Amino acid sequence: MSVTTSVTDDLRAIVSGGFCLTGDGLEAYPLGDRKPQAALLPADEEEVSRILALVWEADLGVVPWGGGCHQSIGYPPSRYDLALDLTRLNRLIAHEPADMTATAQAGIRMADLQRHLGGHGQFLPLDVPMPERATLGGVLAAKLGGPLRCRYGTARDLILGMRVAHADGTITKGGAKVVKNATGYDVPKLYLGSYGTLGIILEATFRLYPRPEVEQGWWLATRDPDTAQRLANRILGSHLVPNRVELLDEAAARACGISGSGLVVSISGLPETVEGQRVDLDRMAGEFGTTPAEIRDAKGTCSRLSDFPWASPGRDSQGLQALWRGGVAPADCANAIQEIREATGPQASVAIAGTVSHGAVRGCFGAGTVEGLVKSLTAAREILVGLGGYMVVMKLPEAARDRIDVWGTPPDGLGVMTRLKAAFDAKGILNPGRFVGGI
Amino acid sequence: MNVCGLAPKSRARVVQACERIVGREGVVTDPDELRVYDCDALTVFHRHPPDLVVLPTSTSQVADVLRLCYELGVPFLPRGAGTGLSGGATPLAGGVMIVLTRMTRILDLDLPNRMATVEAGCVNLWLTKAVERHGLFYAPDPASQPACTIGGNVAENAGGPHCLKYGVTTNHTLGATVVLPGGEVVRLGGKVSDAPGYDLLGVFTGAEGTLGICTEVTLRLLPQPETLKTILAVFRNVEDASSSVSGVIARGIIPVAMELLDRETIRAVEANVKAGYPLDAGAVLLIELDGPRAEIEAETAGVEAVFRGQGCLDVRVARTEEERALLWKGRKEAAGSFGRIAHHYYLQDAVVPRTKMPQVLREIEEIGARYGIKIANVAHAGDGNVHPMICVDRDVPGCEERALEAGSEIMRRCIEAGGTVTGEHGIGLEKREYLRLMYSPEDLAVMHRVRAVFDPKGLCNPGKIFPEGDERTEAGHSSQHASAGTVA
Repeated sequence: MSVTTSVTDDLRAIVSGGFCLTGDGLEAYPLGDRKPQAALLPADEEEVSRILALVWEADLGVVPWGGGCHQSIGYPPSRYDLALDLTRLNRLIAHEPADMTATAQAGIRMADLQRHLGGHGQFLPLDVPMPERATLGGVLAAKLGGPLRCRYGTARDLILGMRVAHADGTITKGGAKVVKNATGYDVPKLYLGSYGTLGIILEATFRLYPRPEVEQGWWLATRDPDTAQRLANRILGSHLVPNRVELLDEAAARACGISGSGLVVSISGLPETVEGQRVDLDRMAGEFGTTPAEIRDAKGTCSRLSDFPWASPGRDSQGLQALWRGGVAPADCANAIQEIREATGPQASVAIAGTVSHGAVRGCFGAGTVEGLVKSLTAAREILVGLGGYMVVMKLPEAARDRIDVWGTPPDGLGVMTRLKAAFDAKGILNPGRFVGGI
Repeated sequence: MNVCGLAPKSRARVVQACERIVGREGVVTDPDELRVYDCDALTVFHRHPPDLVVLPTSTSQVADVLRLCYELGVPFLPRGAGTGLSGGATPLAGGVMIVLTRMTRILDLDLPNRMATVEAGCVNLWLTKAVERHGLFYAPDPASQPACTIGGNVAENAGGPHCLKYGVTTNHTLGATVVLPGGEVVRLGGKVSDAPGYDLLGVFTGAEGTLGICTEVTLRLLPQPETLKTILAVFRNVEDASSSVSGVIARGIIPVAMELLDRETIRAVEANVKAGYPLDAGAVLLIELDGPRAEIEAETAGVEAVFRGQGCLDVRVARTEEERALLWKGRKEAAGSFGRIAHHYYLQDAVVPRTKMPQVLREIEEIGARYGIKIANVAHAGDGNVHPMICVDRDVPGCEERALEAGSEIMRRCIEAGGTVTGEHGIGLEKREYLRLMYSPEDLAVMHRVRAVFDPKGLCNPGKIFPEGDERTEAGHSSQHASAGTVA
C-alpha cells in the first residue's frame, strides 16, 4: 500500500505546522533498513483520532513511536507506511500527591515524568532502561521495567487506568483513576505489553510511591552462582524488604562498574530502618561466606543496572551484538545464567543479569560472525525453554533476523490473542506483524 | 418451584450427559437442593435456581461440561462458595451451574519460588494456614476468607483489608488453568513471569466468570513480616478520621490496612463481639503496620503524630496477639454484626480518591437522612474504598426500594467525586446499570469485544456485568467487525 498524495495532503491538514514529515525527516524513524513514507507528530488526542480514522479508511500500516529507543524489539512490520510519533503528547495531566496517583500523556519522557513527581517527593517505580529517551507510552506498550520490580512489582501492578486510541480512531478509556477498581473488565492489562497492536496508548493513570529518604546498595560477591542463588532465596524469603536483588555474572558486573560475580542488593527507607536491615543482611551474607560491601555510588550503579543491557558503557564489543531477555522461575535464575555461560563457551562475549524476585534474566551476546551470534542465542533459548521459560531477542543485526525467531514459540492462548487482534484491528493497521505469533 | 431455564426435554438430555461426565453423584437436580444455589451473598436482588448443578473433580471434566453446553447452546456459570456480594454467581438464566467445591486441593507448594498452585475450589484461608509454618502468607484477605474460594477470588479480583499495601488478587495471581467457554483448556501465565503475548490472565482476573472457568491457579506467597503493629485510633467524628487517612498516606507511610468504622458500626460490633471499641466514639480507625522492626517503630511514631494533629481522642496499640486478634475481630465481624441493628442490609462498595473521602462520607450521611434510612459506614479507608451498609426493614413498606434508591445516589456521588462504583465486589448483576455512569458506549464496546472473543455464543455467565439491553450492541459490534474483516 502506498501513501497517495491526497492522503498526505489530508494528513497535513490534520497535523499542521510542519508536523507531518516526509523525505529527510524520516531518518529518525528507521526500522531495520526501512523507513515510513511519512511521520506524523500530532499535538493532541483529537489529532491522533483523526489521523487514525483516515489511516483506517486508507488501510495503511502505522507504527506508534515514542522515544524510539526500544523499536528493535519484535518482527519487522508487515507494512510500514506511517510512523505516529507521540512525543508531543507529553503533559503531566494530573498529580494528586495526597492520593498518590498521577495521570500523564503517553509521550512524556520517563525522566521528565520522574522529575515532576520527584518535586513532591514521589516517583513511579519503573526504572526502565534509557529513561531520558524512553516515553511512558512506549514503556507501557513494551511493558518495560527494571530491577526495582523486586519491591514494587511491574507496570501491571502500577497502572490503574488508560486512554487508548483504537485502529479506527475511536478513543476509549479503561480502568479508573482510583487505586482500587473492580468495574468491568480490566482492559488496560491487555494494552500493557501489546506493542501497540491493539490500540495506541494516549494516557495512563498510575499509582505512585514515596521517594525514599535514603537508599543504600551493597555488592555481595559470591564464590559460585549456586551460592548466589541460595543467598538470594534467603533474602527474598526473609523479612527484609530489598528494592533490588540482582544477580550479575562477571561481565554484567563489569558493565555496572563492579568486579567479580554475585548479587547487588539495595534497601531504602528512613536512615534507621535501612541500618536495621543492613545488620540483618550482613548476618545472612555471613551464612553464605560473603560480606556485603557498600557500593559508593549506589545511584550510578543502580542506573547502570536499569540500563543493562541496553546502554552499557564498557561493554566489550566484538563487532556483532544481540540483546535478549528471558524468564525462568525465580529460583532457577543462577542456574539459567550458569548453563547459558557454559553452553556459549568461554570464548563467547556474554554478559547476563537476573532480577531474582521475578526470574527475569537479560543479557548481551557479542560475536564476530552472524553464525556465532545465532549459535549463542539458540543455545541460550534452548536452556531457558528447557527450564520452562522463554527467551525474547530484543536487538540483533539485520543479517541475523531471518536466522532466529525473535519471539520464539508462541505462548498458550495464541488462538485467543489472534482473535483479539482481529476484533480490535480487523484490517491489521496497528504495528502489523510485529508481535509474537506474527500478530 | 420455578425451574425454567431449559425445556424439560433438553434439561433431561443435559442432565444425562453431565452424569456421564462427572458421575451421578456429581449432579444435583432436586429442586429443593437447587434452591441453595439460587443466589450468592447478594440476597436482596433477583434469585433464580440453575437447571442443574454439576460438581466436577478435574479440569477435563469442566472442559467436557463446557463443550457440551456450547454444543447444545446451554448457558452455564461457575460458582465457588457463593460468598460474592454482587450477584455474580446468581444463575439468572438457569442453565448449568459448575460448582468447584470438589476441587479443593493444594497441588503444589513451591517454597524456593514462594508460589502455590491450588485448585479453584481451595478456600482462601486454607492456603494461608497451609503456608504459615513455612513463614509465608497469601495476601488477599476478603472478609469471607474462611469460606470463599480462590477461584471465586480470581473471578471477582477480590480484595480485603490487607490490600492497601499488598494489592488485590490480580497482583498475586501468576498463572491459571482456564477452560474457555467452548471447552478449550489454556494455561495462562505460570511460575515464569512476563512471557510475551497479551495479558489474558490479567483480563480474565476480575471478569466475574464471564470469560471462562479457571480450575487451577498459581499464586504468589509473601514472607511474613518481622513485626506487626495494630493500632486503634479513636476520633470524634468520621471527618477527622478520614482526614487522618490522607495525612498518613501523604507522609509516605503505607500501612497494611487502614480501616474506618463509624458510630453505627461500632455500636453494632460492640453489641455482637465486644472488640473493645469505645461506644462514645464518632469513628475509629484500625491501622496495621508491618515490616522490619525499625521501620515499624518509625512509622508508628509518624502515624501517631498525624492522628494527634487531626484531633484524635485516643490511640491504643495492641500489646499482645490476643489484643490484636480482638481488634480485628471487630472489623471482620462488622458485616455480620449488622444483624443487631437491622434485619436486612444492603452492603455497598465504591471507591473514591482518598482525599475526597471526608466529603463523600458526609454526603452519604446526608443521603441516609434524606431517605430516612440508617446507613452505617465501614471503609478500607486507605484505598478510599467505602462500604456503606444500608439498613433495610422489610416490614416497613417501601423501605427496600428506598434503600436501593439511596444506594444508587451514593454510587452517583462517588463517580462525581472521581471514583468508581466497585472496588472489590464486582458489578455482577447488582451494578450493571451503573456501568454506564462510568463508561461511555465506546468504552463498553471494547469490553463487549473482549467478551465476544472469549465467548462468541455469550453462554458463559450471561446477563452479568453489562447493562441490560446492551447485549444487542455486542451483536451489532461483532457483525460490523466481521464485515470489516472481509474488506481486509
